[in-house]
Amino acid sequence: MNFSSKITLAFYGIIAYLLGITVYQVLRDPGAWSFVLLGVAVLICFWLVGSKLISKKKQTILSRIQATFHRFSFLIEQLVARDFKTKYKRSVLGVFWSFLNPLLMMAVQYFVFIRLMNLRNSIGSENPMLNYYAVYLLVGIIIFGGFNDCCNQALRSIVYNASLITKVYVPKIIYPTTKVFSAGINLALSILPLYIIALINGLVPNFSILVLPLGLLFILVFTIGMGYFLSATVVFFRDIEFLWGVFSTMWMYATPIIYDIGFLPNTIQKLMFFNPLYHYIDFVRYIVILRQVPTAEETLICAAFSLGMFVLGLTVFKKTEDKFIFYI
Amino acid sequence: MEQDMIRVENISMHFRLMNDRISSIKEMMTALARRKVKFKEFHALEDVSFTVNRGDVIGIIGHNGAGKSTLLKIISGIMKPSKGRIWRGANIVPMLELGSGFDYDLSGHENIYLNGAILGYSKEFLQSKYNEIVEYSELEPFIHTPLRNYSSGMLMRLAFSIATVVEPEILIVDEVLAVGDERFQEKSKKRMMELMSGGTTVLFVSHNIDQIREMCNRVVWLDHGKVRMIGAADEVCDAYREQFLEQ
Repeated sequence: MNFSSKITLAFYGIIAYLLGITVYQVLRDPGAWSFVLLGVAVLICFWLVGSKLISKKKQTILSRIQATFHRFSFLIEQLVARDFKTKYKRSVLGVFWSFLNPLLMMAVQYFVFIRLMNLRNSIGSENPMLNYYAVYLLVGIIIFGGFNDCCNQALRSIVYNASLITKVYVPKIIYPTTKVFSAGINLALSILPLYIIALINGLVPNFSILVLPLGLLFILVFTIGMGYFLSATVVFFRDIEFLWGVFSTMWMYATPIIYDIGFLPNTIQKLMFFNPLYHYIDFVRYIVILRQVPTAEETLICAAFSLGMFVLGLTVFKKTEDKFIFYI
Repeated sequence: MEQDMIRVENISMHFRLMNDRISSIKEMMTALARRKVKFKEFHALEDVSFTVNRGDVIGIIGHNGAGKSTLLKIISGIMKPSKGRIWRGANIVPMLELGSGFDYDLSGHENIYLNGAILGYSKEFLQSKYNEIVEYSELEPFIHTPLRNYSSGMLMRLAFSIATVVEPEILIVDEVLAVGDERFQEKSKKRMMELMSGGTTVLFVSHNIDQIREMCNRVVWLDHGKVRMIGAADEVCDAYREQFLEQ
C-alpha cells in the first residue's frame, strides 16, 4: 500500500468514526437533533475537502495535502523522531518519564491540596466526579500539561530553527507541526498511567472509551492552531515568549484543574464557557470518570473551538511566513 | 537539446532597514507618533532577469554585497522576491549547505538521516547511499558516537559527505567548499569539481575568477544589485578584471 492511499484511508477512517459518533448521539437523544444537524454540516465540509466538488487546479484539497505530506513525510518522521529521542536521551529512566512525570505531579498536588490544606470539602460542589478526586486531578494535569508543553515547543520552533530556515528550503509550517506532534506523543503516552490510576480507583472503562480518541483529536487540532499562531507572532514580537509564560500560568489557574467549576461564583461560571480547555478537560473527565459519552452539545462546542483555533492559526501563519526570514 | 531549467524574470529584492535603532517600545511609540520612523529601502537586487538552460554552468560574480547570495537564496526558494517571478524546471533546488540541522546529541548514523531529510533526500536514496557517505567521510569507527564528541574537522567531513552525495538536476553552490585537513581538502575539492562537471546544471558563486573561467560557460556579473553584463565566461571575466584594474 503506498503512502497517499494510507492518508486517504486514514482520512475516510476519521470521517467514518465521526459519523459513527453522530449516529450514536441521535439514537441516544433524539432531542439533540439540532446539534446533530450542525455536526452533519461540519462532516459534509470535511467530506468536501476530499471530493472533487471544491478543487483548485484539478486537484482536491485532500490530494494537495497528500502531495505535501508525501514529499516531506520522511523529513517529518525524522524531525519527530529526533525530538522524541533527544528529549530523554541522557536520562536514566528515558521514555518512562512520560508516564512518571504526570503521576508525580499529581502526587504533589494531591498531597498539597488535600492532605496539607485539606481543601476537599471547600473545593467544589455536588459534582459526582469529585468522588474520584485523584483521577479528576490527573486528567486536568495531563491535558493542560500536554497542551502547555506542545505550545511551548511550537512557540520556539521557528525562532530556534532560524539557521535552518535561512539556509534550506523546507515549508516552514513543518516546524511547529512536528513540534506539536512530538510533544503530543507524550500526551498520548500519559493516558496509560491515567487509566492505571482510574482502575485502582475502581473505574473500569466501558464502551465510552471509544470516544476518547475524539477528545484527544480535538485537543491536538486546537493545539496545532495555537502552535501556528504563537510560532508566527513570536517572530515579530519576541516579547510574546515571556508574555506567554505569564499568560499560560493565568490560564492554568483559570481552568478547573484543581478545583471544580461549582466552586466559582455564578458570573465566572458563565465566563468559563469561553475557556476551550475547560471543555476539553471536562470532555475527557466525562469519559474517564462518569464513563459516559459526552453530550452532542458538548462535543460540538469542543469541535467548534478546535476548528476555529486551527483556521485562525493557519491563516496568521500563512499570511506572515514569507516575512519570517527578515526578522529571524 | 536546449531546454530552460530556470527562468528568472525581472526579480527585485528590497529590504527595509530601520533608520534609527529603536530599542524600546516607548521610543517606538513616540517615534511613531511623530512619524519619525523612516525605513531606508535597500535594494539588494533590481530587475534581474536571465535564463538558465539545461547543462549550463553559470558563474555569478560581483563585489561584496552585490546581491549574489540573495539571488541564490531566491532561486532556491528560501526567500520570496519583492517583485518578479521565478520559474524552476526541476522540483527541488537545494543549495549546497553543510551541516544544517545537525543534532549534537544524536549519533553520526542518526544525523546522516536527519541532515539528509532536511536536504530533501528520500529515505530509499539515503539507505542506498549510506555506506558511500560513511566511507567517504572516513568516520566508520565513530559513526555510532554522538556528534558532540566529534572534532570540528570530523563534523565538516560528515557534513560534506552528506551534502555532496546528491546527483541533482540543478546544483547551487555558494563558493566551492573545501573542508578538513589538507588531504581531505584536496579530496573534497575534487568531488566538487566532479559534481559540477558531470553534466548537471550549475549555478556557482565565487570570487575566484580563474575558477569561474575554467568551470563556467556563461557568467552573470552583478553590480549593486543590477545585472551589469551577461555572456560567455571569457568575455565577462575579461571585462570584470579590466574594471577591477581601473579602480
